[in-house]
Amino acid sequence: MKTHEEKWTAWLDGQLSGRELIEFESSLPDLAAAEADKRDAHKLGAFLKKELGAQALSNEEFFSHQLRERIARETDNRSTSSTRTRSTWWTIPRLVWSGATALALFLIFSIGIMRQHQPGQQSEYLTQILNSKVDPAGNPNATISIFEVKNENKVTVLWTEGLQTLPADYAAK
Amino acid sequence: MLRPLLIAAVVVLAAGVVSADAAHAVWSGLVIAENVPQPTAIPPELTKFEQTLKDLFGYNQFEVIGQSDKTLKTGEEDWLAVSKYFSLQCDARGENDAGYSLNLKLYKEKDVLLETDANLSRSSPLVIKGPQVGSGQLLLVLVVKDDDHAQTHRRRRVEPANPITAGWHRLRRAVHRIFR
Repeated sequence: MKTHEEKWTAWLDGQLSGRELIEFESSLPDLAAAEADKRDAHKLGAFLKKELGAQALSNEEFFSHQLRERIARETDNRSTSSTRTRSTWWTIPRLVWSGATALALFLIFSIGIMRQHQPGQQSEYLTQILNSKVDPAGNPNATISIFEVKNENKVTVLWTEGLQTLPADYAAK
Repeated sequence: MLRPLLIAAVVVLAAGVVSADAAHAVWSGLVIAENVPQPTAIPPELTKFEQTLKDLFGYNQFEVIGQSDKTLKTGEEDWLAVSKYFSLQCDARGENDAGYSLNLKLYKEKDVLLETDANLSRSSPLVIKGPQVGSGQLLLVLVVKDDDHAQTHRRRRVEPANPITAGWHRLRRAVHRIFR
């Protein structure tokens, strides 16, 4: 069963015939006005077909060539930028090697420095006794030893033993 | 615009040179250490390490019998600390990064009793145990003091001031501080 709108469209397109056409036209309240609408619709259809038809390109070869070039250029740019991102100098292996090299250099450097300063060696912050001697004629049994006092005063001591004892008079100012 | 900056830079550099070349005084003392019932006060130069001296030598009094307070300007000065019978002759032979290079001779009247070469550090006093004198002990003490009032000067160095060597020493100290 067709709706009124379907029958109206079919009537406008001239698709109704026979008893269906008679029934539909008899159902219209004003057949003359409907006929006028039908004519207007046909005119509008003819006008639209005439004005909105596909325009033929006068330079379609040039247009397609331009399009192809642009597509090719954009594809190139995209691939170049992605290649550039991937080909940075700091690759993971290089980073690892650089880190290992830096660590090795630091260790070699540190060991070198630590070896230069053995634990028993006198610090440059302490007074250093380079050499010393006691008059051997008057003090044949004299001995000398050197040590540092390990406190905040950092006193360096040259300790003599066996020096000739002198009378108390020698303590005079 | 540029002139004030240049003046400021010159002033800063000059201040740096002045502070880097601050003079030091070396105090040298002939000290008799002994045990007495009522000890006198320790000389001010020895106050800082009084306890160390007492612990080391076991005496309760330290009396200065001769002394010298020498401000070093060239780092190559000579000086004497004398008492009635002893004299300590100090011959500075230049300055290095650690302090002063010294030749020390202890005379008993005219005889050299003891001779030593030492690098006297600015942060480390030198104490030499001399002969027993009566019931006491002769000590020789050398201390580098900061002398803020001393005239600034250019110091002569035992080693040439090589910037690479100096930089290396500074780096070594920095690394030692890290590992200490």
